[in-house]
Amino acid sequence: MKKLRTHQDGIGGGFTKRKLSSTQRDGGTKVRIEKLILHNYRQFKEEEIWFHNTLDNDLHIFVGENGTGKTNVLNAINWCLYGDEPHLSRDSQQLPILNLEAIEETTDGGQQEVGVELYAETGTNAYILFKRVASYRVHGGHAPTHQGTTFEVHATGEQGNTEILSGEEGKSYVDRFVPERIREFFFFDGERLDRYFREATAQNIRHAVFRISQLDLLENEVERKLDTVVRSLEKEAGALNPDIESIRERLYEEKRKHDEIAEQIEKTEAQAAVAKGRIGEYEERLSGLPDVEGLENERKRLKAEKIIKENQRGEKRRLKHLFLLESGTGVMLYPAIVETIRVIEEKENRGEIPPTVDRSLLEKALGEGTCQVCGRDLDDESSAQVKELLERISLSSEIARELVRMEAPLRQLVEQATHFEDDAWRATRDVRAFQEDIDRIDRRLAEIDREVAGYDEEKITEWHRERKEFEGIYAQTQRDLGYLYPEEERAKERVDELQEKLDAEMRKEERAGEIRIRRDFCVAALDVVRKTKQDNMREIRQRIGAKTEDLFFDLTWKSGTFEAVNVESDYNISLIHSMGYECLGSVSAGERELLALSFTLALHDVSGFDSPILIDTPVARISGKHRESFGSVLARVSEEKQTILLFTPAEYSEEISRALDDKASTRYSLKLSSGEKVSNAEVL
Amino acid sequence: MAKIPDRLNIDKKTDRELYDKIKEEVFLEMPRKGQFLFAMAFGFMYGTKRELGTKDGFFLAKDMGPRDEALINALAVAETGSVAVLSNRARVYQIAEEYAHAGIRLLHDEVTSEEHGSFYKRFERDIFERLEGHM
Repeated sequence: MKKLRTHQDGIGGGFTKRKLSSTQRDGGTKVRIEKLILHNYRQFKEEEIWFHNTLDNDLHIFVGENGTGKTNVLNAINWCLYGDEPHLSRDSQQLPILNLEAIEETTDGGQQEVGVELYAETGTNAYILFKRVASYRVHGGHAPTHQGTTFEVHATGEQGNTEILSGEEGKSYVDRFVPERIREFFFFDGERLDRYFREATAQNIRHAVFRISQLDLLENEVERKLDTVVRSLEKEAGALNPDIESIRERLYEEKRKHDEIAEQIEKTEAQAAVAKGRIGEYEERLSGLPDVEGLENERKRLKAEKIIKENQRGEKRRLKHLFLLESGTGVMLYPAIVETIRVIEEKENRGEIPPTVDRSLLEKALGEGTCQVCGRDLDDESSAQVKELLERISLSSEIARELVRMEAPLRQLVEQATHFEDDAWRATRDVRAFQEDIDRIDRRLAEIDREVAGYDEEKITEWHRERKEFEGIYAQTQRDLGYLYPEEERAKERVDELQEKLDAEMRKEERAGEIRIRRDFCVAALDVVRKTKQDNMREIRQRIGAKTEDLFFDLTWKSGTFEAVNVESDYNISLIHSMGYECLGSVSAGERELLALSFTLALHDVSGFDSPILIDTPVARISGKHRESFGSVLARVSEEKQTILLFTPAEYSEEISRALDDKASTRYSLKLSSGEKVSNAEVL
Repeated sequence: MAKIPDRLNIDKKTDRELYDKIKEEVFLEMPRKGQFLFAMAFGFMYGTKRELGTKDGFFLAKDMGPRDEALINALAVAETGSVAVLSNRARVYQIAEEYAHAGIRLLHDEVTSEEHGSFYKRFERDIFERLEGHM
């Protein structure tokens, strides 16, 4: 079984004991991390990381690709001090805390230890070693099983005496370093800076002020206990008088209802604040980007419209073609038609048509020698007259009738040919009208294609969809609050009314006199506690606001742009532009993060804990010139307090390198071994 | 007395295929009578007619209206230079069939030619030009 090597008497070889000035700040002692030892902890098999302070800046930098254990440096500190790993990546969550290579090297059923030791320098020659060790039994093919964890604190005073502490005593030393309830303001992911003033700002600040004020102690220890006493006294009074008991029961029921509504309001307000923040975040992301979802909807609509227009154009084109077929036939035969009409007109002028006498009838009369009308025989004179008549009628009546029948349709065809140009133009105009609509649609479709070209349409659509979802959530919260606020007011009125009734009833009941005096005392004490809590919150809020403003103006790279930073009574923060308007919503990511950093440092200051600040990916969300400016700010912060920064290589850009390289006391590069199971911190 | 034909014919060997080939692009849903008259007019426009080989009935004469009759009559009058032809329906139909026989081949060649623009665009342009020449 491998044992974690210990460093019971201070820090091992190579440690440079630098005399730090034990600056007192609001009663706090400057504390810094001097060394971190990682044993079988996740990617780190055996790693000793020093944080010597050799320059004016107590700045320490880690650069590592994702998966090399960069964020697990942050987790290791949390695990050592508080026993948890709040920043585990998804990949790490799938893996055991015990190093994979250590597992492989251990025989089935064997034991291994995971350990993290954190050496903190607390003053001249004074050190604290925090040491957490967890034992695991290794089973081939299965996750190691946890056997137990020990946590020890070795505190070495200025005289060199070391005390070994564990349990609550050990925890009290953690509280002197960075108390668990406020650790989130000391060890955090850079994303926190980015989101801090975008989401649930008032809640975040109220929460921070509450934590930093350590008023939770007052609330838990005093307020709740006093409330319990008041309730038990009222119950005691209720046992004496059924009327008191009845009112008390109703009062408590109403109080319960009121508390439920108040809790619901708090949750809904938090939801609303988160939703509002996320809407702002998506609006910022989408600002300047095309409204892909809207454009996509427009594209779909246009395509549907185009199909309709194409069908309509097709129909008009079909009608035009039919017109060309019908009229074209007449036009092509136009010369024949005109010639035939001319012949008809000529025959008409000669009186040949319409036919007056039936030629076949005359021919038959001559052939038979009998008149076909009266039946009389034709004499020579009559026959000569019929012959003369036949010679005059050159057309057969059949032809003449045919010509008469033809005339009207032929004249119609001529008329059609005369109007052909106009009719063709009308048919073409109908087709063109739809063609123009189609061309307009095509132009807009091409515009849309150009607008979205080069953008990740899927991503932008997803952002639009998510923004819409949050808008829906926000709208719902507002509807809920619109109902909940008056509900709470009514519940409060009922509580006050019943409370008055209970007081009156208790005053009437002589046997409850003693109970009432005790109860009234407790209620008065409770009021004092609540008022004290509020006063403290207000005072601390004001101090944090003032300190945030000082730090922001001290650190900002844009002097003269801003006029004030206010933490309002409703715990909302506002950044006032020199032109007088509130501008937090419109400042750059860098400026917003600078404000969040100033606020965080103000919290450090007010909390009285002058402990290190550790930020994972501090500038990931800042781009361009603001990145270098923010890098310079972090360098300046490190002049005052130990600053540990964890970067990805992409984040550790040229600008950041320029701003930080000369200021950093230590710089480490985290590298994963070829087997991808062990990481090493190499000095840069 | 010659028997009056009850139908108008196309050339059995070639024409039906040509009509079918260009039906979709040119004739759309036009009935056979209309297709025949168009082909006939097309042949007349280009001054070309051809004698039919084996005849194949294309549509019945009774289906023709006054306008259709007037067109083929006018063609026959113009072709013969005499109205006397009108008393001979067989001859009138024969003239119409010969022009339609030549016309459908010309039309097919025109439709399938690789000249710029669709058949209808070219046809519309031609028609305008011809009308201008006549009026």
